[in-house]
Parts: sequence; C-alpha cells; structure tokens
Amino acid sequence: MQDQVKETPAEPVRLFRINTGSCNGCDVELAVTAAVDEFDVEQLGCRYTEEPHEADILLITGPLTVRARNEALRLYAEAPETKVTVAVGVCPVSGGVFRDSYAVDGPVQRYLPVDLNVPGCPPRPQALLAGIAQARDLWRARSKGVDAVFAAPPLAKPADEPAQQFPIRGRMSFDPKACVDCRMCRHVCAAGAIHFDIKGDKGDRHLRSQSPGSPEGVRLTLWHNSCVFCGLCSHYCPTGALSVTGDWHLAHRGGQTFRFSEQGEVPYTPCSGCGSPLIAVAPELLHAAFRRPTPEIEHIKTLCPACRQQLSIGAVRR
Amino acid sequence: MTSVIELGPHQLALEEPMYFRVKLEGDRVAGLDVQPGQVHRGMEHLVMRRNLYQNITLLERLCSLCSNSHPSTFCSAIEEVAGVAIPERAEYLRAVADEIKRIASHLFCCAVQANLIGQTALFRRAMEVREIMQRSKEAIYGNRMDLAANCIGGVRYDLTPDAAMYLARQMEAMKAPLDELYLQFQNNPAIMARTAGVGVLPRLEAIECAVVGPVARACGIDYDVRKKSPYGAYDRLEFSTSLQQAGDVRARNLVRLAEARQSVSLIEQCLAGLVPGPLCADLLPEIPAGEAVAKSEAPRGELVYYLRTDGTDFPLRLKWRVPSYMNWDALKVMLHGEPVANIPLIVNSIDPCIACTDR
Repeated sequence: MQDQVKETPAEPVRLFRINTGSCNGCDVELAVTAAVDEFDVEQLGCRYTEEPHEADILLITGPLTVRARNEALRLYAEAPETKVTVAVGVCPVSGGVFRDSYAVDGPVQRYLPVDLNVPGCPPRPQALLAGIAQARDLWRARSKGVDAVFAAPPLAKPADEPAQQFPIRGRMSFDPKACVDCRMCRHVCAAGAIHFDIKGDKGDRHLRSQSPGSPEGVRLTLWHNSCVFCGLCSHYCPTGALSVTGDWHLAHRGGQTFRFSEQGEVPYTPCSGCGSPLIAVAPELLHAAFRRPTPEIEHIKTLCPACRQQLSIGAVRR
Repeated sequence: MTSVIELGPHQLALEEPMYFRVKLEGDRVAGLDVQPGQVHRGMEHLVMRRNLYQNITLLERLCSLCSNSHPSTFCSAIEEVAGVAIPERAEYLRAVADEIKRIASHLFCCAVQANLIGQTALFRRAMEVREIMQRSKEAIYGNRMDLAANCIGGVRYDLTPDAAMYLARQMEAMKAPLDELYLQFQNNPAIMARTAGVGVLPRLEAIECAVVGPVARACGIDYDVRKKSPYGAYDRLEFSTSLQQAGDVRARNLVRLAEARQSVSLIEQCLAGLVPGPLCADLLPEIPAGEAVAKSEAPRGELVYYLRTDGTDFPLRLKWRVPSYMNWDALKVMLHGEPVANIPLIVNSIDPCIACTDR
C-alpha cells in the first residue's frame, strides 16, 4: 500500500463533512484537522472540499436527527459511487446519549452503509487522523476495484508528556473479578452502553439447552460504539470493576460495529449454607466496607441473604 | 429590487447546520427568517427519560463548546433541591473547568471570524493558541471537549500538585498570545476595516432583545452572572466585567478576548485559593421533591436551568434557557442594511450555539 502511494503522489484525497445534528464536538475537532499544523489532514495527502460531488471520503457526525435526515441523504447521494463513508464519534453509529428520542432517526446505517467507525466523544484529533488514514487507504483500494483487506496501520503512541502523566479517557475496561453485580454502572450510563444478562437464563436459549434452569453467571456487555467515554460508570463503581483505559485506537470497519464491545462474566457460586446461586462478594467491596474483614465476615460472605439472616437473627425475614 | 436567498451552513461557515432565508433589497439585507431545528435532538424529552445521574453526561453533550456550563449548572440546581452545600475545593475546581472552557470557546469564535475576513494567518494563529487550552483539557480531564468534571455534590476530578503546576505553566503560556491577539483585533487596520461599524446592535435594541453575554457587554450592558449573582467560588475571585460600547463585530471580539485574558487570571486565582478538602459533599445524596432555578455565566452568556423533582431519580421537569436564543434574535437588527457579503461574519460574531438552541 505504502509503495503505491509513492508511485501516485498526484491528487489529494478529498474529505467532505456532513453534520447530521451533532453537539458540535466532533465538528470542532474536525475543524482542528483543517486549521492546526500538527493535526492537518494534509499530512495524510487529504484536503477538505465544500462540494459533495467531489467527495472521496464522507465524514458523518451527529445522531441523524429527523430534521437533518433529508439533507444528509441528499449530500450522501451526490457524492461519487466510490466514496468511503466514515462515522465520526459514536452518535452516527448508535445515537450515543441521544438514542431513543423521537427527534433522532439514526443510526445512520439504517439509511446508508458505513465503512468505518471512529468512536470517541469526541475522538481526539490523533484518533481522527488515524481513522481518516484508514479511510484513505480503503478509498484508494476501492477506486482500484479491490475491496479492502487491509490491516490497521501501526499508529504512533501519543508523544506529549503530560497526556501520559494524566491519561486520556479512552475505552472502558471491565474486571469481572471485582464486580458485585450492583448494576450502578448501568444506572448512571446516559448512553445505555451497558447491558446485563444472566447467562443460562431463559433469554439465552443456546446456553439454556446446556444447563436448563441453573444460571451460570451474570454477564456485562459494554458496547464501545455507544459509550461516550464520560467515565461516570467508573466513578460510581464501588469496587473499581470498571475502569477507564487510555486506549483511543478504536477505529474499526463497519462490519465489526456490533462486535466491538467489552464483555465479562461474573460466575454464580453456590451458597455455602443452602447451595442456591449467589454472586460472590468481591474482596474490593469487603475492603471498602470493612477495611480488614474478620473471619466471621469471611464466613458470612459465602452465604446467601436468607442464610445470612438465619445465622444472625435465627429466622428468615420476609 | 427585492429578492430572497437561502443560506446554509456551508455559505455561513458554521460548524453546525443552520439555515437562513434572507430578504434582500438590492444587495442589502432587509429581512431575516431563521430556520432552526436541524440539531433538535428532543433534549427536553430525553432528560425526563434519563435519571439525574445520566443527565449529567447527557447535558454535557447538549453542546460541546459550552459543555461544562450545562452539567455544572444542572448539578447546582440539584444541590439546591437537595440542600447540599458543595465543598469549597469543589467550588474552585468547578470555576477552573468553566474558565478553561470559556477561553477555548472564545478563541474558537474569534478564529472563525478571522478566517471569514480572509485573515488566514491570524485564524491559524488563534487556533494554535487555542491548542494550548485543548492540550490542557486533555491532560487534566482526559478529553479535549467534554471535561466530565461535575457530579452531584461536587466534582469528580482533582488537581494534584503536579497537575496544578502544569496548569499554571499552561496559563503563563497563554498570556502573551492572548494579549497579542487582543492587539490584533483592536488595532490591525485590515481587521478593523472589516469589523468596526459592522453588524451594529444599538444599546437600546440590545436591551429590547434581552441579549446576554459578550453580545450584551459589547453594547455597554454591564451584565455578567458571575458578578451580578455570584455562584460557587466567584464571590471570592477578583475580576471586572469586560465592557465595550460600540456594539459592533469588533467590540464583541474585544470583549471575548479581554474575557479570555481575565479567565487566565481567574484560573490562577483559583489555583492559589485551592483549599485542601473533599471533592464531593456526598457521593449519593438523597434528592427530595422540590424545584430550583440555577444560573451561570456560560461562554455565550447567561444560562438558566429550572429543575423540578418528585423524590425519584427522574426529573419531573427540566428546562433551560440558553444564551444564543436571545442573541440570535438580535441578528435581525445587526444584519439590517448590511451587504450580503457580511452575513457570515455577523452571524458568527454572536457565536451562535445551534446545538444549545435547537437542542
């Protein structure tokens, strides 16, 4: 790919932006890639155009509002057939925080195929450039008639020293060993990015056939294409099971949209009293509650609520 | 000769979709019809379907240029209902976040206008200076636009001594460039030729349109929420309201750049006054039934929040008035009799926030 680029230095690849009703975060950051030398798209052999019919790459921002839809689709149709469509930020992919509104008609792939997602809220300019570089390679391959087996180009790690000192808010990471299934993360997530389901439960037909009636564990799924990287789940997580990583290398092909998630499973263990399934108390929670748990607490933690009540007040209170 | 033209975001050089139907007499503007709604995401509906915690993040995405003002004002309203007093350290940290956003927002507005009058070098310079703020935001908050600084009862970020020193160095680095930009907008003849006496909003009309923020202060209206009804740490901070009298495009930019310079000083004062202590009053305070109004000075002017709760986690009603709502009504006055070529500049001179207004 690199060699081909050198052989044909000629025409810059032209970028055209379509705002489908965004909060302007992604748009302002895209403006930075036209105005600030360090992040200028020219370094990728690209330039912005104001004419949709010249567009090689469409950069779509926003959740696709009802009012913006027709204009967005008109601009999309005006761009040449070989165009590569990029969803910038999570809004076009999932609606982000704006999903489930009467005024939002997205996600955009309901109306048009998206080749590449660049998640972020908004993506930092480095992530925008990495995404645009992938889109450019895809466009070059496509205009030669090959569709695209391509590897994500190796990306430079952020060089600026303070950003490493105070890491940026990137992809979320889940540690099931610390999770106590309180579901506060889902409660505070504005984007509905976090989903809990019970593995082996009715809903999970595949697993049910393997183990009818006995749930194996609780599964958390966090969809990176809906997450807005606010970190509120991690802020309210009592045990630190959810944490913010500095990973912003998140651009991926449209076909991967729904596979791009974080998943973890918290297994049920049998109650040491009656054997009914319970979620074990994570050491992180015990530490938060008791600092140094006594042997008695260590024993109680293996009991289900009913057995605990039996132990401490001699009967189960209903 | 009367004609009607339609202008969209590409003609107006706006980052956001906004459409105007302009009535012309010859080549002069005679009437204006703003056609909003492109960015309407049904926010008032959405906030009622999200609980109070989710709304902190949702409201931060109401608009990314004033993204800190929304959650901080919303949290103030909740704290008012809950009777929670936030710790003093959190008050200072909220002010730091607000002022950082103000500087970046004002610089973006001035940069776009420089571009519109063909001052490409100045445009790129203003954007470069703004990058100092963007880098600071990313280093301290982890994101260049949405800071995620607020939570109910306080803030959820801290300035460690290292981070405070880093921020102080960045503020020092802002001073000379901000002064230089102010002088450019004040004295550069090429810029004056395009901005002085352009898009004038006379003081009386400004009062009639109830404009706020830099648009009002450029007409000599001494109104700044931080001064008139101080909230948070602002009653302990030294600053004066930036005022201009001319009411034109130039005056609005001078107000903005003077304010940006003042914000640098406010951040320095906050860093100096940052008392040790907790960041948040109570991680999960009980929110009883009640109602409250909170207001703050967002980069574009006075931002008012009304909140009514019923004791559950979901707001019963949440309503806000954003500064651009009044300011863009005043465009009719500013644009009247102006040549078509000046429309994009004048529209951008009120720093319209369409995401806030359409919501």
